[in-house]
Amino acid sequence: MSDRLRTTLSIGLLVVMAAAMLTLILTNPSDPDRVQAIGERIKCPVCQGESIANSPSAMAQDMMALVAERVDQGVSDDEIVAELLASYSGAVLLDPPVGGATLALWLVPVVAVILGVAVIWWWRRHPSPEPASEDGDAATSGGRLAPLLILGATLAVAVVVAGFFIQEREGPNEGVANLGAQDLDDVSNETMEAVIAANADNPQVDGMRLALAERYYEEGDFRSAFPHYLEVAGSENATDTQVATSLIRLGWMAWEGNAEAETATGLFDQALEIDPGSDTARYLKAQVLWCGSDAPEQAASLLEEVLADPDLSADSRTQVESDLAAIESGETCT
Amino acid sequence: MNRGLRWVGYGVALAGVVFAVVLASRFGVDPGLVDSPLLGKPAPEFTLAPLEGGDTVSLSDLQGEIVVVNFFASWCLQCRNEHQAITSTADAFADQGVTFVQISYQESPPVSLEYLKGAGRSDAALYLADPGSRTAIAYGVFGIPETFFVDEEGTVVGKIIGESDAMTLGATIDAIKRGETPGQSVTGDTQQRPDA
Repeated sequence: MSDRLRTTLSIGLLVVMAAAMLTLILTNPSDPDRVQAIGERIKCPVCQGESIANSPSAMAQDMMALVAERVDQGVSDDEIVAELLASYSGAVLLDPPVGGATLALWLVPVVAVILGVAVIWWWRRHPSPEPASEDGDAATSGGRLAPLLILGATLAVAVVVAGFFIQEREGPNEGVANLGAQDLDDVSNETMEAVIAANADNPQVDGMRLALAERYYEEGDFRSAFPHYLEVAGSENATDTQVATSLIRLGWMAWEGNAEAETATGLFDQALEIDPGSDTARYLKAQVLWCGSDAPEQAASLLEEVLADPDLSADSRTQVESDLAAIESGETCT
Repeated sequence: MNRGLRWVGYGVALAGVVFAVVLASRFGVDPGLVDSPLLGKPAPEFTLAPLEGGDTVSLSDLQGEIVVVNFFASWCLQCRNEHQAITSTADAFADQGVTFVQISYQESPPVSLEYLKGAGRSDAALYLADPGSRTAIAYGVFGIPETFFVDEEGTVVGKIIGESDAMTLGATIDAIKRGETPGQSVTGDTQQRPDA
């Protein structure tokens, strides 16, 4: 075979191969290839860094089945990915999007390459000095290089900060407040009633019931508060403090609401059996004894016990002292 | 070591620290905890059959009501923990325009039904099968339990990732009734299917 023929054949072969490759590139990939390619872009949401195409998990297989179905329906690749992004956000993409906090991931390598080229360029223009002058020129060269390196590092930091800033501004759910920890103050009386009713057998419901009763009590709605205090007072699961608090409230409501002095003092006594240190029970019992039972001496004695408590707050102490002085001066309860 | 090399070392170390901080602070975050892109958007429509079979139910059938969509499974411990709260809250709000929809996640209907037989169910709630996880995918479920709150207009206004309790569910529904958008709350861990 002549050299000319050999050259012609070689060129022809190259042209055929190039044409075949061009055809492969320009022709749309087959559907299974498309499904595989899309699957390899999507991160399996229940796996660690695996694509749905490569994960054996049931969830990944379900997602691949969805992708295959969409491909069969003639949906474009971008539309399929957009559908999954609409549900999962960018967190489902194996390649992070260019922007926001992930900008750093894309820019840091670029910055590193630029820095590297700059360093090589610098060293080529300032070749290493002879060993004899190492301490002098090398130090100078290193010293000149330092600002460049610091500049690069600063640039990297700026990119990261900018990324976070952009992410904050582009927050995906702008205007949607976080639910945060739930506070009973956020819950309506009706909801608390409904939840308590639905959890009547739940041993942990006493706290919620007491909170609701206290809310009614503060509002002066004794009728609504009464059954809840009664439940807590009789609950086997309630703490001593919860029971004592309920008994004290029931006692005061019996006096304030119905002027039932005997019932009230009986309830205060029950509270004091459970919590002997309760100044509130003692003080309120003294009030009832003074105002409803015509027993000022007993009332004064109880008030003195209250005053003996070193932990009594200044305001309470002033109030108790005032009441005690009124009793001792023979004033009648008003 | 000469000063030049020392400075190069400082620069490389600083760049490494910056990159490590980024990786540790941002990219170590559980992707399942990102804000759901569905918040503030129309809830994905679904048409699913009850676990027992029979007539399908669509989200659009419930328009005008607050719909609480909860994904659960018998293999999910947190789902078991929250089940009583979900059931009792569904009962409590049954006559207040609130419907609970519990969708079985990555589990066959007979297994879910057997679980519900023991755990109990609310007469007011709907228990639906999700073949092929299509609804779970549409709602962007990463793990369960996840609970979505859809307002009367059909917009996703809240999401709880992790175990719920009666107070959290009640407060979220209350907030929606007041016209607020409770947003997303993470109350605890979620779980993947054991063989995932």
